[in-house]
Amino acid sequence: MKNIEVPALARVEGEGGLYIGLENGKAVEIRLDIYEPPRFFEGFLKDRFLQEVPDITARICGICPVAYQMSAAYALENALGVKISPQARALRRLMYCGEYIESHALHIYMLQAPDLLGKESALELAAEAPEVVKTALRLKKIGNELLKAIGGRSVHPVNVCVGGFYSWPEAKALKALLPDLEWGLNAALDTVKLALTLPYPDLEIDYEFVALHHPDEYGVIEGEIWSSNGRKLSIAEYENGYIEEHVKHSNALHSHTVDGSTYLVGPLARLNLNHEQLMPNAKKALADSGIQLPLKNPYKSLIARGIELVHFYEEAIKLINEYKPTGPAHVELKLKAGEGSGATEAPRGLLYHRYKIDGNGMVQFAKITPPTAQNLPRIEADLFALTPKLISMSEAEATLTAEHLVRSYDPCISCATHFLKLKVEEK
Amino acid sequence: MTKVAVIGIGQSLRGDDVAGLEAVRQWREKFPETANRPEVQIEASELPGLALIDALKDVDAAILVDAVQSSAKSGTVHRLSEEDLASFTSDSKSAHGWGVAETLQMRSQLTDEKINIRIIGIETAQVELGARLSQVVEDAMPIICEAIEEEIHALLK
Repeated sequence: MKNIEVPALARVEGEGGLYIGLENGKAVEIRLDIYEPPRFFEGFLKDRFLQEVPDITARICGICPVAYQMSAAYALENALGVKISPQARALRRLMYCGEYIESHALHIYMLQAPDLLGKESALELAAEAPEVVKTALRLKKIGNELLKAIGGRSVHPVNVCVGGFYSWPEAKALKALLPDLEWGLNAALDTVKLALTLPYPDLEIDYEFVALHHPDEYGVIEGEIWSSNGRKLSIAEYENGYIEEHVKHSNALHSHTVDGSTYLVGPLARLNLNHEQLMPNAKKALADSGIQLPLKNPYKSLIARGIELVHFYEEAIKLINEYKPTGPAHVELKLKAGEGSGATEAPRGLLYHRYKIDGNGMVQFAKITPPTAQNLPRIEADLFALTPKLISMSEAEATLTAEHLVRSYDPCISCATHFLKLKVEEK
Repeated sequence: MTKVAVIGIGQSLRGDDVAGLEAVRQWREKFPETANRPEVQIEASELPGLALIDALKDVDAAILVDAVQSSAKSGTVHRLSEEDLASFTSDSKSAHGWGVAETLQMRSQLTDEKINIRIIGIETAQVELGARLSQVVEDAMPIICEAIEEEIHALLK
């Protein structure tokens, strides 16, 4: 069999290609090539006022702008020693629910399900099963509506600020979403049932799972960074456990643990580490599924996303029912020089930010580690593990199987290509 | 009464990608009588993706104003039907960033409701992150505004 080469990956966000070099039936080289140009976001942030950072970083991604806003806001609040009010914290979780809902509905139905159902694209799926796609679009739209109600618009919402929110959204506008959210909760439960019937390729990997963990809630904001290998770090200690470095074939940085090993962030990591904190319906859906944790098949991250979809619909309903904003929406900031880090769980996994600011609140240094940069070495390692199976397949089937594996990670290549210095090397 | 949506599409921090948003803004200022008619619904949309399907609900016709890239000269104003758009199919290969052509194709798979869709495409010169609108596209704005005005009157007839 010839080498496997996919010059441009479809149904992933951003521009990347895949190369598997084979010699005597064994993989000798695997590269997830990232062509997406570096975007220099960390460079843009230098000398910008801290309050601009959430809105600038939101532009890194059209799918998970809230994650960028949240990690930025928490990092800068930590730099200033500011604690937001409990109501603002609850509203941040509610906003995050909207982002998880729209992102997961898109990935489950539009990006990954076509692979599992043997369809070339979501368009083909829409032609054969329009009702499924209509449900998917409605599930996604409700997430967008929730973001719009809180952040003014669903793409790059604008209400999040360092210290809380610029203003409280109207309770009436949020409560008006409840009937749709109730429908969505049931549709999400059906999504899990559907997910359990899909034909997943056999592949079990002994991952090191890494996710934010909070004892009282499903880890999304605040808490500790837990690893399935037992490493527990505070958010401020993240860089003591995980390191990013440049690799030649990629415009994205690659992360590994301090021990030099790969690790996995995202829905499988969250579900495996945090399943005890799921909301009741999501917990029941997991129990009824008969799935034994830890879930170690990367393709089955679709099931994990399905269970999380239930969780976030359910949590959104709870938070809206409890929503009673009182007092100011944000804490008044007292500027001082400092340094702070923040990490939250983006739909694709842990998203870490660190900033240094001067006494006027101007950013002097910014570091952003997105989930895809952390998962890229892991994707390449999974492809090595998959290669013995690929050898026995036709070239077309092997290419599709490898592409599908990459897509199951929902890699956000645009987010990952962010490093500051571009160095072009010629061989 | 024929209801018409005028939808400007584009990102405001990506050079000429903003052309659709900017054109609709300028048309609104230049032709307030048309823009304020009750049957005209105006929307500015950054990265609408699949949400475009919803934006086309409850209207009889729509004018989509968006930046395009083809082999034409920068600043060229294309006036296209939904069928013509197939030749502009996005090469983004990304379902995260559904382009207008793919989204309209998806819409036609999901609904039998036919609406008259006209697309005004503006050929870009550059779509650099953080860049402003290029001079050549800025210079084309009056022509684009006229094109929107003409298309809308044709649809409202």
